[in-house]
Amino acid sequence: MTLINRLPTRTWNRLGVNETALSWDENGTTEIPPLTVDVTEREKVVRVEVNGENEFSRKKVTVNAQSESSVTVIEVLSAENNLAVETELNVKENALVRLIQVQRSGEKSLVYNKVTSSCDKNGRVELLQVFPGKGDIYSDSLIELTGDKSSFKSDIGYLGQREQTVDINLVVNHYGKSTESEINASGALKDSSSKIFRGTIDFKTGSSDSVGNEKETVLMLGDGVVNKTVPLILCAEENVVGNHGATIGELDDETLFYFESRGIGKAEAENILARAAIERLARETGDEETEKLIIKILDEDL
Amino acid sequence: MKEKSQIEDIDRSVYDIRDEEHDAYRMESGLTPEIIDKLSKEKNDPVWMQQFRLQSLQIYNEMKVPDWGPSLDGLDIDNIATYVRPNTKMQNNWKNVPKDIKDTFERLGIPKAERKSLAGVGAQYDSELVYHNVKDEVAAQGVVYSDMESAMNGEYADMVKKYFMKLVTPRDHKFAALHGAVWSGGSFVYVPKGVQVSIPLQSYFRLNAKGAGQFEHTLIIVDEGASLHFIEGCSAPKYNVANLHAGCVELYVKKNAKLRYSTIENWSKNMYNLNTKRALVEEGGVIEWVSGSFGSHVGCLYPMSILKGDNSRMEFTGVTFAGKGQNLDTGAKVVHVGKNTSSYMNTRSISKGGGISTFRSSVVVEKSAKGTKSSVSCQSLMLDSQSRSDTIPAMDIRTKDAAVGHEAKIGSISNEAVFYLMSRGMSEEDARALIVSGFADNVSKELPVEYAVEMNNLIRLEMKGSID
Repeated sequence: MTLINRLPTRTWNRLGVNETALSWDENGTTEIPPLTVDVTEREKVVRVEVNGENEFSRKKVTVNAQSESSVTVIEVLSAENNLAVETELNVKENALVRLIQVQRSGEKSLVYNKVTSSCDKNGRVELLQVFPGKGDIYSDSLIELTGDKSSFKSDIGYLGQREQTVDINLVVNHYGKSTESEINASGALKDSSSKIFRGTIDFKTGSSDSVGNEKETVLMLGDGVVNKTVPLILCAEENVVGNHGATIGELDDETLFYFESRGIGKAEAENILARAAIERLARETGDEETEKLIIKILDEDL
Repeated sequence: MKEKSQIEDIDRSVYDIRDEEHDAYRMESGLTPEIIDKLSKEKNDPVWMQQFRLQSLQIYNEMKVPDWGPSLDGLDIDNIATYVRPNTKMQNNWKNVPKDIKDTFERLGIPKAERKSLAGVGAQYDSELVYHNVKDEVAAQGVVYSDMESAMNGEYADMVKKYFMKLVTPRDHKFAALHGAVWSGGSFVYVPKGVQVSIPLQSYFRLNAKGAGQFEHTLIIVDEGASLHFIEGCSAPKYNVANLHAGCVELYVKKNAKLRYSTIENWSKNMYNLNTKRALVEEGGVIEWVSGSFGSHVGCLYPMSILKGDNSRMEFTGVTFAGKGQNLDTGAKVVHVGKNTSSYMNTRSISKGGGISTFRSSVVVEKSAKGTKSSVSCQSLMLDSQSRSDTIPAMDIRTKDAAVGHEAKIGSISNEAVFYLMSRGMSEEDARALIVSGFADNVSKELPVEYAVEMNNLIRLEMKGSID
């Protein structure tokens, strides 16, 4: 067992959120050749298809964004079995990295997705993750805002279906002054799916004048769903502002009435809303090919 | 040069006065079956309690110290005297309480509060109650308010046996097991069906002995349709060795009953406060917690409500002030079991001078809890960069038929708010003091006025500074 998705500071063990024990066969893992992307220009686009064909596969992707550069990295994570992908982002001064990740995996698959990032002065990371509901997904991201005025924004959309597990851990460490982070997670849970979202904003000593905001919205649609939400703010600095909010619930009567008044029944309304968070992110990608792919994945299943 | 405005630590002088331990009986430090046996004999326990204590000790020895929360490394149970008996029997008239002990409670304002605004008072000094009294008109309503030992050996023995440590069992955690082994003192309250106790009862716990522990047990049963406000206060003088408080509070709120449980905790800054509080709420019942945490070196306190009955509800209102040398880990827990239950937590924490304040919560909504509504709001104020303030909430929702909301904010005093108040003629010092006082008023406005005043005195938010 490998312990992943560790909460930066522990809480009651009975809640089962401190970490996740992942069964992974290290000795039987096939290493897919790593990829390193060096970026010096602006507005570069890099597409990375990661296919985990063996029972246990792993790939490492490293993105080095030099000063003043900008890049959009689009990763499509395809797996029928067990796939681990580690993406390391090294973001230099005034550089921008957009990382778009789309899970496209089979029903019995498991994807372990790890993202680490360091961010120098004025650097920015934008992370857009789409987990549309086939196979288990374990996602572990650590963002280090080391440089002054560095910033991070994430949009995470998920759909949990059947017996699927969605297990997410996102930690943003603010070290530099005047750093900013924004975490938005939104998703729907159907059937007997289960989800944990751990989101941590950690203001370290010295991160004065920083701001962190975190928001999660969960739509509960199945009778057997389990939702765990653990939004942390850790703070060792006086002049900072941190906010987090979470809203968890089912389709409310008002929304349902709105749909019904337009001839749309409850089941169809739930379907529309289950897709909504992911469809929004599909448009946010700003990449037609990726948008079509995400819609196609949704259409296959909903 | 501009000097930053300071918010002073709480003035503790009245709480820090120590009494000599003359003529008191002090059990040797440590935890062994022999010591537990001796304690049991000393307290004249019934047989079931003797066995319960020994079983609890065994569980204590088997369990590990929690791997989360503040460090407890400075606490060595082998150096803690688990039982210290003052040199008096329990009295129901303050005149008969030994002068030094009576003077201590006078300074703390307990007899005065009793005369003015309470239906009954229990005063515990170290391991035993020294005073217990309830007003005749309240007793005439059938309200039982006694020390735990009298209840356990008297008319209510069966009731005590039925409820004692059934809600918080010794297996709950290591310090619940410790409590089961060495508990002493505390209060028993029974409010009969339909009885409304219009003015509060209060228990006050004073730990005077150096290097000792206090392990009082509070058991309250509010029967169907009844209501009660119970106030708990505590304090201790500061020593240079660790003291331990591992009390236990078990509250049973029956059908359509209502209980408000208010606590002003002001232990000394050498205290490890590892207290456990829990309420079981039946159909239509209401539990309201009002909690002010100001003292202790290390505090772990998370009152838990189990909303078992349909339409039951809980509210938790808390403020925590962590100053220099303090690590206060506070919050609340709720488990929704019944249908259409609701919970609301509203907390504030303030950190200054290197103090650490952590808000920790859990909201669990079981599959059976259809129609649950839950809302958590926590706000933290950082007064300097030597301090820490963490927010660690968790939600575990297992039914789709629930509406759960959570919001948290952390920040410092708003310069805009200070500027606004200054533009209306206030000094910067007064402006900052007003903002911090207002920040903590969620608790003070929920307390009876005498206690709100005490709390505001407790947080003596004096400002000093100069402006260029």
